[in-house]
Amino acid sequence: MIEKSYIKNQTTKIKVILFIIIFYAVLQVLMSTQIINNYWQQIICFAGVMTISALGLNLIYGFTGQFSLGHAAFFGIGAYTSAFIIKTAHFNNTFLLIIGLIAGGIFAGVIAFLIGLPILRLRSDYLGIATLGFGIIMKVIFDNADAVFPVLGGSRGMVGIPQMTNFAWVYLLVFFTVIILRNLINSAPGRALISVREDEIASESVGVNTTKYKTLGFVIGSIFAGVAGGLYAHLYAFLHPQNFDFLKSIDVLLIVVLGGMASISGTIIAAVVWVLILEGLRVVLPEAILDWRLVIYPLLLILIMIFRPGGIFSGKEFKFLHYQEKK
Amino acid sequence: MNNDTVLAITNLNRYFGGLKAVSNFNMVINKHELVGLIGPNGAGKTTVFNLITGMYSPTSGSIKFLGEEISNLKPHQIAQQGVTRTFQNIRLFSSLSVLDNVRIAYHYKIDYGIAHAIFHSRKFSSAEKLIKEKSLEVLELFGLASRAEEIAKNLPYGEQRRLEIARALVSKPQLLLLDEPAAGMNPSEIKNLMELIHFIRDRFNLTILLIEHQMRVVMGICERVVVMDFGEVISQGRPEEIQSDPKVIEAYLGKTTTEWRE
Repeated sequence: MIEKSYIKNQTTKIKVILFIIIFYAVLQVLMSTQIINNYWQQIICFAGVMTISALGLNLIYGFTGQFSLGHAAFFGIGAYTSAFIIKTAHFNNTFLLIIGLIAGGIFAGVIAFLIGLPILRLRSDYLGIATLGFGIIMKVIFDNADAVFPVLGGSRGMVGIPQMTNFAWVYLLVFFTVIILRNLINSAPGRALISVREDEIASESVGVNTTKYKTLGFVIGSIFAGVAGGLYAHLYAFLHPQNFDFLKSIDVLLIVVLGGMASISGTIIAAVVWVLILEGLRVVLPEAILDWRLVIYPLLLILIMIFRPGGIFSGKEFKFLHYQEKK
Repeated sequence: MNNDTVLAITNLNRYFGGLKAVSNFNMVINKHELVGLIGPNGAGKTTVFNLITGMYSPTSGSIKFLGEEISNLKPHQIAQQGVTRTFQNIRLFSSLSVLDNVRIAYHYKIDYGIAHAIFHSRKFSSAEKLIKEKSLEVLELFGLASRAEEIAKNLPYGEQRRLEIARALVSKPQLLLLDEPAAGMNPSEIKNLMELIHFIRDRFNLTILLIEHQMRVVMGICERVVVMDFGEVISQGRPEEIQSDPKVIEAYLGKTTTEWRE
């Protein structure tokens, strides 16, 4: 029996890996042959970027239960950090992109750690307000950053960032983010994170250092946001503080709630669908009612919340994301 | 203090503003004892539990566990030292599986670090296997092994109570605090519970302190009873001694009419 299930697990694993590779290959071919044109390539990459960022917020909010409205700020920190490093380096290659992304992630993580220590003792709505405050502060800092580092552009926006993000990078990083998140939540530290969401007092009473795990979830989630921000900077080659204000935090929150709290699959689907619908409606709708897309999409939100209050996946996962415990 | 002392509380005070929830509280519990803490509603029993487990910090006084001061520690540190508890209104990780509820309580025993968790290293696999084994072992003892994959909130009330005790025991604590374990149970469930408490004490070599309102439980299993009223200890002794103590009767029933006339 054990051997049988082991073999079955191995074959599913191989199937999943094959699927991931083939899916990539198909998209890559379509892109190289311009069947998917540059405009749509950029949108697909943006969907991947949003996926990584939203997975980070799902770790913070969905799994650890810490309500954060400042996610776009960490995204912005990652974006500016990576753009700053690569733009000031005056040369660009793949190696530098890796350094930029890592630096963006780490810097977002460090800031999350520093800001998390004092505010993570707050609960639910209060934490939401505090993170919102942090988001607004960061927006002001981005707006005035040119006073210290002229290269960051401040409220005029940062231009001339090398465009280095391509589909392969985004795909690879989405893949890693999903694997890291899946492995993390199916481990002892991951279960400790979830226990904090379930009942903080009970988890303290069984020896879980809730402060430590709340901070851990917050920092790792923010690192994801920072890396996503780095990809974003080198995707559009232009950064503006407006792209990191608290409305953008709400977009990410939307994706997490729509997809289903604590569901990796849900976040992936919701992020991709959200980006594609916003852009897709632009193409599908006739010119005359183009502005109605901003009505159609909130209507969709309301309908989804009425008919599927737990989100599209509500805590469930695709089969291949199920963690197989060794017997 | 001798070597057998598990818990020694001296001159413990806790004020909430002007309210003396616990005042000048003293208690010593020896190894392997089963002590009951009783008193009318609002006497401060649960506050004492919260002070021992670090949920509240004392206004003054000392709490020593196995000779070491614990009143300045955080709740999770106290739990890791070997003092665990259950709650008056059950606090499970209600949307997680029965197995996960117990596994979480074992997590700090094996700290393999985040990197091992993310890369699912060999160290991770063997540690996880051990956690699962230990957890299932405890669930087996509580008759919950067949329920391991079920979601905790779907269990019947009695089993939720048992799961909460199982969760408190998986890390092999030395002192177990039970806050009204028999609340909401019917007579036959109470009988099972009393047997269970005796069983776990011997099996896990435990010292137990329990709060209970059901006199049947207190008188049936406790070797020693401490009675509280208005935050103070008013009496203590063997169950039969307590029952006839006029101070205890007064706390529960009020003064007799003859005294009232005087």
